Amino acid sequence: MASFTTATRLSARLVSRRVAQDAASRGFRTSAVSLAAQNFTMPALSPTMTEGNIATWKVKEGDSFSAGDVLLEIETDKASMDVEAQDDGILMKIMQGDGSKSIQVGTRIGVIAEPGDDISQLEIPADGKPAHDAQKVIPAEKEEPKQAASSEQTGARKQPRKSGEKAPPQKYPLYPSVAHLIKENGLDESVISEMTPTGPGGRLLKGDVLAYLGTVPPSRPEDIMKRFNHNSHLDLSNIKIAAPKKTVKAPVQEAPIPEERLVSLPVSLAAVIKVQAKIEDTLGTFVPLSTFLERAAEVANDALPLPSNYKPTTDELFNQVLGLDKVAPKASRGRYLPQIAALPPSSLTGVAPKPKARVDIIEFLVSSTKASPKIRTVPIQPGVSTGTNFFSLTVPREEEKRAKVFLQRMKTVLESKPGNLIL
Amino acid sequence: MLASRLIPRTAVRSSFRSKTSLPTVVSPVSRWRRGYASQSEEKDLVIIGGGVAGYVAAIKAGQEGLKVTCIEKRGALGGTCLNVGCIPSKSLLNNSHLYHQILHDTKGRGIEVGDVKLNLEGMMKAKETSVSGLTKGIEFLFKKNGVEYIKGTGSFINEHEIKVALNEGGETSVKGKNIIIATGSEATPFPGLEIDEKRVITSTGALSLEKVPEKLIVIGGGIIGLEMGSVWSRLGAKVTVVEFLNQIGGPGMDTEISKQAQKLLKKQGVEFKLGTKVVSGDASGETIKLEVDSAKGGKPETLDADVVLVAIGRRPYTSGLGLENAGLEVDERGRVVIDSEYRTKASHIRCIGDVTFGPMLAHKAEEEAVAAIEYIKKGYGHVNYGVIPSVMYTHPEVAWVGQNEQELKAQNIPYKVGTFPFSANSRAKTNLDTDGLVKMLADPETDRLLGCHIIGPNAGEMIAEATLALEYGASTEDIARTCHAHPTLAEAFKEAAMATYSKAIHF
Repeated sequence: MASFTTATRLSARLVSRRVAQDAASRGFRTSAVSLAAQNFTMPALSPTMTEGNIATWKVKEGDSFSAGDVLLEIETDKASMDVEAQDDGILMKIMQGDGSKSIQVGTRIGVIAEPGDDISQLEIPADGKPAHDAQKVIPAEKEEPKQAASSEQTGARKQPRKSGEKAPPQKYPLYPSVAHLIKENGLDESVISEMTPTGPGGRLLKGDVLAYLGTVPPSRPEDIMKRFNHNSHLDLSNIKIAAPKKTVKAPVQEAPIPEERLVSLPVSLAAVIKVQAKIEDTLGTFVPLSTFLERAAEVANDALPLPSNYKPTTDELFNQVLGLDKVAPKASRGRYLPQIAALPPSSLTGVAPKPKARVDIIEFLVSSTKASPKIRTVPIQPGVSTGTNFFSLTVPREEEKRAKVFLQRMKTVLESKPGNLIL
Repeated sequence: MLASRLIPRTAVRSSFRSKTSLPTVVSPVSRWRRGYASQSEEKDLVIIGGGVAGYVAAIKAGQEGLKVTCIEKRGALGGTCLNVGCIPSKSLLNNSHLYHQILHDTKGRGIEVGDVKLNLEGMMKAKETSVSGLTKGIEFLFKKNGVEYIKGTGSFINEHEIKVALNEGGETSVKGKNIIIATGSEATPFPGLEIDEKRVITSTGALSLEKVPEKLIVIGGGIIGLEMGSVWSRLGAKVTVVEFLNQIGGPGMDTEISKQAQKLLKKQGVEFKLGTKVVSGDASGETIKLEVDSAKGGKPETLDADVVLVAIGRRPYTSGLGLENAGLEVDERGRVVIDSEYRTKASHIRCIGDVTFGPMLAHKAEEEAVAAIEYIKKGYGHVNYGVIPSVMYTHPEVAWVGQNEQELKAQNIPYKVGTFPFSANSRAKTNLDTDGLVKMLADPETDRLLGCHIIGPNAGEMIAEATLALEYGASTEDIARTCHAHPTLAEAFKEAAMATYSKAIHF
């Protein structure tokens, strides 16, 4: 009989790992259910549990329960746990009542019956495992008397099922067609377990009943099931791998190169050098030039005008829907870091500013040469001179104004009060 | 110095904005560095693509407690489906149908209408309202489920790191323990005709034409071509559909249903040229000229049109993704190669949706998204590819799930057929909308449902019932023994099931 393996979810999982009980319980499972009551034994709620106390039964004798209901509460030395029913059923008899102490795992604690069974008609089966020691009995020995006991139907019901394949009991309401056929043919509902379900998740289909009745060839439902299983998967056979370069390289070349602009501005670092020296004199710490530049960029990146192609984000659109568009941003934080060179970049042609140009706010010149799409890199420290340097940025055309504002701020910060960046 | 680090950046920001004097303090250098090429912490999951596959995966991952980032370059979530596919086309289909019905189908109903005028601009606006509402809805769901959303174009640097060119300028990179590629698909162009989305259009252009073209040629009689052809035909264009195969609706549509659909669409004014190949096209002149040839070798012909819709299918979209940097493979049709758990060659990179194998359908992508996250999180996921419904939203609608008659025939699978026409359905009769039928295919011996094909009003909704029945392995008797409300169109579905396993009552 199915013992607790069908009755408790947790123990079913754990017990299967236990060598001693494994064979026995599996043996019981295939010999299936119904037409008789089953012994319900003390479940092992943890791999190390050997015995436990029954705190309380939550279901009374004669009461029905459904899968998931708490049957009883068991106390071990570590904790108290609820035992849930795995399937629907009826609690026929309680063998070990509330408060029973030190019951060995595997000992019969009750008897359960299938839902719908008339428990007054059912016999209470023999105790399969009277004591803990009995677990060592070879499973075959224990199975035999059971099969013999459950009448000649046992033999018949094993027929349609393939060896090694177990038919899980139908946990779901029967399909309308199945229920109809069973009634129509005057079958007892208990024969359901003798049919081989071929539906999804072990569900019993009309075809399975027909196969059981012999109306259709017995292999038919299974053939259909196999076909459905096959169709349910993506066909990943015969994949022809493309030569990697053809498919990958071609589209990359097609991608249009975004138009880039080079924006540059001469900035004198003289003031910075002066402050640097002053700090070293008074405080004794040497602040590297890069620190000045990074901090100046940090300040200059703040609240830059939006790029001309700026599209409001969906968030902002959503805010507009809510009438909150007044808070829409007029500016956003930049992420620029200028390239710095002591000499004007060689790519500048025509309007390139003269290196001699004196540091003046108005005096910044812009070149609109189309440059390669290589974007800003980290500042080139070796190129920095103590005098005038060219700070330049390569940006998409739409960001030209944004970049100019950024450079202008860099210039202001570095030339007028560089000391503020540090102190 | 130490104290200065504690002063938040906002202090710096506000002091600069007020332009009083330059800030005395700036935040630590490390923060600045992150601002440029941000190197955020490694995510549990990075998803490239915010279309149906990507956004569903992102939300599901968020719900499962993964730290997830979704990269989308369109600027709006939802991908092709929400922005330029299913959703906007359904808006146009529904409204153009209303317009068409008001024009042609009111007298018999006792309704007299005055001057009916089309305001195409208004119709497009209605479409945009629907679309923007839905895409914003997804953004909200991202926030709700803690999904980080990066607007930019992602490409692999290596198999763990993705570079993102941000839409608002700049660049960042993200690292993921797991990565999902969900970059979707794009319309396959027709060789020799350059898509400008004004005169030579794909489905995208067909959703936003500025005026109703006089003559529209649709190359490709699949679902997209027929839906968009229907829209413009209803709005007044003379539509001709040129299809290479001998049936419309694509190979998945049951031939009997396809013939019926063709007949009904023809009645609405759509012309068909089946078994016809477009040899070449010339868009240089005033009108676009197409050289067509009968596939069986008939006489060549020249067709001309104001607008040509290229709807010959879609292809996986992976350009600029840098698959080669991650060592990933695509097949000869550009699909990213995966195994049954959606893993690519690199097992932490998975790929779902249109960019890989299987039908290019939004609901298939959605299922895969959930399954892929379940594989990552729980080690098991499942999509039943045998039970994926298809719907064509013409009028009447066409919908199907499971196998069709020609497939069963080709595979020598025995079957029985049961049909029920909507002309015998009470609700269809009262609606004065009786075109179409429900067709069921079942195993002749076990009665298990093998496929269902519907053409008729509301077919797209009704197919859900057939899908559920197939998923549960139901027989047609199971369907027939299930109570259906009266009077509904769904009764036709039940009657078709009755006709399959025994006899229909009302026919």
